[in-house]
Amino acid sequence: MKRTEDLISLGERIAKDDQLAYRQLFILFYNKLSRFVMGFTKSKELTEEIVSDVFINIWRRRKNMEEIKNLKLYLYVSAKNTTFNYLKKLHRENLTDLDSVEIEPEDPFADPGAAMITREMNLKLKAAINELPPRCKLIFTLIKEDGMTYKQTATLLNISESTVENQLSIALKKISSAIRYTFRHN
Amino acid sequence: MVMLNEPNPSQNKFWSLLSKKLSSEATSEELEELQSILLSTPDLHSQADILTEMWQQQGVINKSITSEGAYMRHIMKHKDEFFVEEDSIETNSDDIVSEASPGFFRSLFSTKRLFILSFLAFIILTTGAIYLLTQKNDAKLPTEKGISSIVTKNGNRTKVVLPDGSQVWLNAGSNLDYDNSTFNNELREVSLNGEAYFDVTKDPEKPFIIHTKKMDIKVLGTVFNVRSYSDEKIAEAALIKGSIEVTLTDRKDQKIILKPNEKISISNEEPKSEKKPEKISSVKAVAVRIPQFEVNDLKPNPTYNIIGEIAWTQNKLFFEDEIFEDIVLRMERWFGKKVTIANESLKNVHYTGNYENETLEEVLLSLKLSKSFNFRIGNDNVVIY
Repeated sequence: MKRTEDLISLGERIAKDDQLAYRQLFILFYNKLSRFVMGFTKSKELTEEIVSDVFINIWRRRKNMEEIKNLKLYLYVSAKNTTFNYLKKLHRENLTDLDSVEIEPEDPFADPGAAMITREMNLKLKAAINELPPRCKLIFTLIKEDGMTYKQTATLLNISESTVENQLSIALKKISSAIRYTFRHN
Repeated sequence: MVMLNEPNPSQNKFWSLLSKKLSSEATSEELEELQSILLSTPDLHSQADILTEMWQQQGVINKSITSEGAYMRHIMKHKDEFFVEEDSIETNSDDIVSEASPGFFRSLFSTKRLFILSFLAFIILTTGAIYLLTQKNDAKLPTEKGISSIVTKNGNRTKVVLPDGSQVWLNAGSNLDYDNSTFNNELREVSLNGEAYFDVTKDPEKPFIIHTKKMDIKVLGTVFNVRSYSDEKIAEAALIKGSIEVTLTDRKDQKIILKPNEKISISNEEPKSEKKPEKISSVKAVAVRIPQFEVNDLKPNPTYNIIGEIAWTQNKLFFEDEIFEDIVLRMERWFGKKVTIANESLKNVHYTGNYENETLEEVLLSLKLSKSFNFRIGNDNVVIY
């Protein structure tokens, strides 16, 4: 994940109409925001439309970029709000429930440099992540893959920090038990 | 496993501490506490190690093509806000902010410069009904029969969505035709003259075929770039993902299958090319009219880290060690001005360059730095001497 200072300078460049910086920001967050939005919409087309809306709003308000304290959190909150507005329009507001979110995890691919994780273990890990309860998987993904802090995750999802902490602990515990099984039987 | 399910306060503490450590939320006291739990409970050690390693592995984000493509679509969708001359942005920022939904009619009533109007008018005139297809929730699908033509003039690029959902970015000075009444029946056939980047919707039942002067390209669902300008020496197809099958128009019996990150180049000239290897010319002596082709890997340019073949889809004018004579053709299309080299000796000078927002004058000034020449820019033509 991009460091905060880099994001601040990207923001400053965008404020000066720098389309190259804007493109960098887009490329940097497009896949991550799409995964987040897709969890709610379950539709590729709608997701692309929503994420495009999020980014065009950044471009439209670029003269006031300094009002955005945390660009990353802003992008996610904006993605969430835009998603909920779309779903409301489509009369699917019940789908904005955190317990019905379906996050597609990225492949935890076998890093050739990994000392302990074999290919087989990786498949188990992926399966275990996939089987996490919806809210738990969402929180796990936001923190691990999207590099969010507990506080940012809590703000984004309107839940308490201790809920975030609990859910992440539960996620790790469940994932670990899948691996323990591998140990015992191999 | 059994042990994990038992209520065990110190174990719960362990998971909470490990979570904090991995997500960089732990204080130094908490790190120490975690360490002491690990020391007293060796059973948890290997689990902590594996989870740490898992945490450090980044999920696969090998989707750069997707996000590049999405960026292109994003820009095209809001083109009236990105293709604006810089000095007109400030005066318009207020009325842009207040608008939530995209759409091109809005632009007709805004105070933007005339050239945007002409750009949009151009889009409407040339792509007509097809453009409506790119606007979601629009029920008015074109039903008229006959040939649809999408044409881009020099200096313009556009994107269209075909009736099957496939997306095509059309580079300057190109045209793409298809028959409305038969497209998507059993085949999806289009003809291309010029350059286009295709993102073809997957449909194994209905092969997608692109006819060009020198080759036919058959695909099932894939992303690739085709370049076949009649005034260029070489025609190319570069495959980004999926697979495509190329048939040369002069030799229908031979099929060439491309793998991702390969490109095929075919001589666009009638068979008397000057600068091709001897083995081919010796073959030519026996068999008449064999188009010369070769298959190469697509390599990103190490300095700019972009793949030259698709740089234009990222709004970049990019050329890599090309001769000036060829570059000039690309500049003509890119900027929409006639460019002539009046000095023969300049035609074979090699240049490499990567430009994004530069004007034609800025590009020429920068090329001049590596090998000097003079130029004169007129209203719609440029002379290099």
